[in-house]
Amino acid sequence: MGEGGRLSMSEADLPRRTRRPEIGRRVWHFLSFGGPGTAAYACFVLAPILISLGYSLTNYNPFRGDTDFVGLANYRVLLTDEEFLTSLKVTTILTAIVVIVPNALGLAVAVLLDRRGWVFNALRTVFFVPVVLSSVVVSVIWTRLLDNDGLINQALRGLGVDEPPGWLSDPDYALYSLGGILSWQMLGFCVVIYLAGLQHVPQELIEAASIDGAGPFRRFWRITWPLLAPALTINTVILLISAFKIFDHVQIITRGGPGTGTTATIAYNVLQTGFIANRQGFASAMAIIMLIIIAAASAIVLKLLQRREVDL
Amino acid sequence: MRRGLFTLGMVVLLAAPTLAACEVGESTAPAGKKEITFLVFETPNLTPQYWDAAIKRVTDKHPEISVKKLVSPDQDRTTYAKQLLTSGQFPDVMIAVSPAGFAEGGNLYAWTPDELKDFEFPTNGAIKGKVYQLPANTQTIPVVYYNKALFTKAGITGEPKTYAELQQAAAKLKAAGITPFVTAGVHDSIGPLWAGILGTELYAKNPNWMHDRRAGKVKFCDAEFKAGAAKLADLAKQGYLDAKDVSKDYAAGQQAFLDGKGAMYAMGNWLAGELDKPDSKLEVGQFTWPSDDGKLVVPAFTGGGLLVSAKAKNLDAARTFALGFQLDKGNLDNSAKADGLFPAIKGYTPPTDVGPDYKLGYDLYAKGVAEKAVVPAFGFEAGDDGMLPGVTAKWDSSAVDLVTGKKTPDQVCAFLDAEWAKAAA
Amino acid sequence: MRKLLALLVAAVFAVPLYVAVVNVFKDGPLIAKSPASLPIPPTLANIQAALGRPDRLFWVSLTNSVIVTALSIAILTVLSAMLGHYIARTRSRWTRALTLLLLSGLMIPPQVILMPITQVLRALGLMSTVPGLVLFNVGYYVPFGVFVFTGFIRAIPVELEESAALDGATRMQTFWRIVFPLMRPATASVLIFLGVWIWNDFIDPLIILGPSQGTTVTTGIYRSIGQYQVDFGAMFAMMFLATLPVLLFFLALQKHFVKGLTGGATKG
Repeated sequence: MGEGGRLSMSEADLPRRTRRPEIGRRVWHFLSFGGPGTAAYACFVLAPILISLGYSLTNYNPFRGDTDFVGLANYRVLLTDEEFLTSLKVTTILTAIVVIVPNALGLAVAVLLDRRGWVFNALRTVFFVPVVLSSVVVSVIWTRLLDNDGLINQALRGLGVDEPPGWLSDPDYALYSLGGILSWQMLGFCVVIYLAGLQHVPQELIEAASIDGAGPFRRFWRITWPLLAPALTINTVILLISAFKIFDHVQIITRGGPGTGTTATIAYNVLQTGFIANRQGFASAMAIIMLIIIAAASAIVLKLLQRREVDL
Repeated sequence: MRRGLFTLGMVVLLAAPTLAACEVGESTAPAGKKEITFLVFETPNLTPQYWDAAIKRVTDKHPEISVKKLVSPDQDRTTYAKQLLTSGQFPDVMIAVSPAGFAEGGNLYAWTPDELKDFEFPTNGAIKGKVYQLPANTQTIPVVYYNKALFTKAGITGEPKTYAELQQAAAKLKAAGITPFVTAGVHDSIGPLWAGILGTELYAKNPNWMHDRRAGKVKFCDAEFKAGAAKLADLAKQGYLDAKDVSKDYAAGQQAFLDGKGAMYAMGNWLAGELDKPDSKLEVGQFTWPSDDGKLVVPAFTGGGLLVSAKAKNLDAARTFALGFQLDKGNLDNSAKADGLFPAIKGYTPPTDVGPDYKLGYDLYAKGVAEKAVVPAFGFEAGDDGMLPGVTAKWDSSAVDLVTGKKTPDQVCAFLDAEWAKAAA
Repeated sequence: MRKLLALLVAAVFAVPLYVAVVNVFKDGPLIAKSPASLPIPPTLANIQAALGRPDRLFWVSLTNSVIVTALSIAILTVLSAMLGHYIARTRSRWTRALTLLLLSGLMIPPQVILMPITQVLRALGLMSTVPGLVLFNVGYYVPFGVFVFTGFIRAIPVELEESAALDGATRMQTFWRIVFPLMRPATASVLIFLGVWIWNDFIDPLIILGPSQGTTVTTGIYRSIGQYQVDFGAMFAMMFLATLPVLLFFLALQKHFVKGLTGGATKG
């Protein structure tokens, strides 16, 4: 059979005059099978990106009548805009926390839960529940818990801490509290992925290594960890993309505060600037930069991690 | 076989929304009626029932109008209205939304002087001379409400008449282990407090300050505003304000005061609606924010009424509804009782069965009018009387920055001047 | 020993979940005072309050969420299965470019396209309607569906389709009668993941559906916060009820969930 699994003999076998309808058939094949999906994607994702790109070159503001083409002015302003640079810093810190913490802790918990038995299966479920919870629910629960008089501070006061920190009200703590909440929600995802990876490590290799006298740490580092490379890739990339999209939690828990820009991520600022300050041209430029950053970051991370997978 | 089932399933799934849309969508108006959409917001005082009853009072008189109530997802109804405008769902009628930004874009209907004839201050909140928001009620922002029991406990006998006395009272409260001031982190919570300070520091000296700022004659970094910012920062530094309160939202801040967690609560007079509820047991007194020399200063804002979209499908019905809603005596009485508002309608006097806290607040306001001590409430003005669109939100977050100590008064005033320049660009 | 440590860690981790559930059945005023205590005596008052709201907020939201989610995932499954099949079975430069274009859609944050989306939908007359939100969901999540299905179809021997073609079946018939039934695990993964994500979606219904078409459970909770701020019991009850459907869905289909997730963990 020809390559590509086409349902007929390869084109070159056909006599010349029957080749023309073949193209029509191919087009029809695409339209009937791939058409609707591609159309929806083009209409609701690709087109809007192009529109965004277009707006980013204007000073579009729906509250002002006139819209002028300003070229790259928005981008130039953004490079020196204090609010935008702060949001870059905030996004970077938050992303770093969300990519590293659940990843590392997830591995630890997965190692802990890597045993047979219904107890361990049940615990795995417990860890995964927050992943399926809505961001709104998680935000509301944690806002109550971290409130100055909430459960956490009540417990701390009970333990004798006189002045427990304002987890969400202190500008120095708020961002890290937010990172903690997000890590809590994503932890279960990493646990499940790592567990699957762990359970695919061939027992014989481990046994052989321990016969050779390697201790548990050595066994992990030399055998298990390299074999977990695909799991690490998946976790890191998914966490990276999720971290960049974070909006709901910021909106509900801190509204970008306390004060100016403390927890305002780029994602949050794009919507604030676009829908509230109504500088949609400007906000579109922010959004395009955001897209470029996440595309570059994903590509780099993916390349680095996948190269590691191949090497092993 | 399986494919048949699958197709059947798809048909059912696709038919379901058509059926359900009839129930849940409520998007088609009853035949013959003019439908208008009306954006409201809910608070512990302004319940869904309050709004439904108020709407019904008007539709009973105008049965040809059918009202679809839209509810803002949170108290920031101005932000939500902006979002709705941007996404093409601008409501026909709105209440208590700041017209700044909307009016300039031609989205709001400008009331005619004839339609405004029943209002006490028909030109309040005008933007470039046109009035878009019915100047329906006056609110004093703030009044300092205080917990009488806690004052007694700290050994405070009289109400503070000067700012120095206020600080002494705060010190006594702190010594007695009571939080002097309760606040929260949002516009309606910390704004009134700062408006009180800026009333005595800034508006008392120059009631025209905001217009001057718009003309570029004064700046935030001039002495008066900086002094106002410094006082706010100072209150927090002395520990009279709990910096941890900034993560609270409006209802949590209000509840903290009602639960006796703090002695004083600088708030708009709408709090009276909550305090006069029959099950409220709190003994509360009121005084105006004291100035350094004890001279009376009463910051107040008249506005707060309904606005109508210029592009409403049934513009006449929308206007009729808005005016009817605003001038209906039943609604006015209820707004006085539930939200502590002083309706600024000609010939209107509040009903006699309003609560004691409302009466006290009203008397304080009347005293201010008599002594010509009424000034604008900074941050709560509307139209050309207020800050440029978008700057108020920065003023709010700057208040929080001052309280948490993240920014100094100098940094805040520079920031606000820069944001003002950005908004004016 | 390991079991004990695991239980301890899980217990600490689950405290927020415990608090969320326990306070649903506790008397309102007690919640702020002692959030962690067991509800004794338990009360159903909070749940009744949430269900019995005069504006039927919960029921309206639930209905909307069910409709939006069910429609979205049904359409998505069909569309992405077919598109995935096309891509997997056709080798050409064009399909390679298409694949790249689609997969890059996996990382696009919704904020980038939300503002223009409102205009596209307005142009189509679908702004603030359920079909509009459904179409947006379909366009946005197609990349994920294609990603899952493409990988799976490659594992199905093409000979099956070819022999059906020789028997005279059209491509459509071959696809639906032979290929699709073999893709049950992939379909399950897609239905489950997209179902949970769309059900839990907050920002898109907030902006696209708007206030006039009612709320979904997520935006409904957010709205009820304004009124329930102080009535924690009612708030927790509302959240509990709103989460129940997706929680039950997850618990029932756990195995498929995990299998779907980890199917890729070893293939990379």
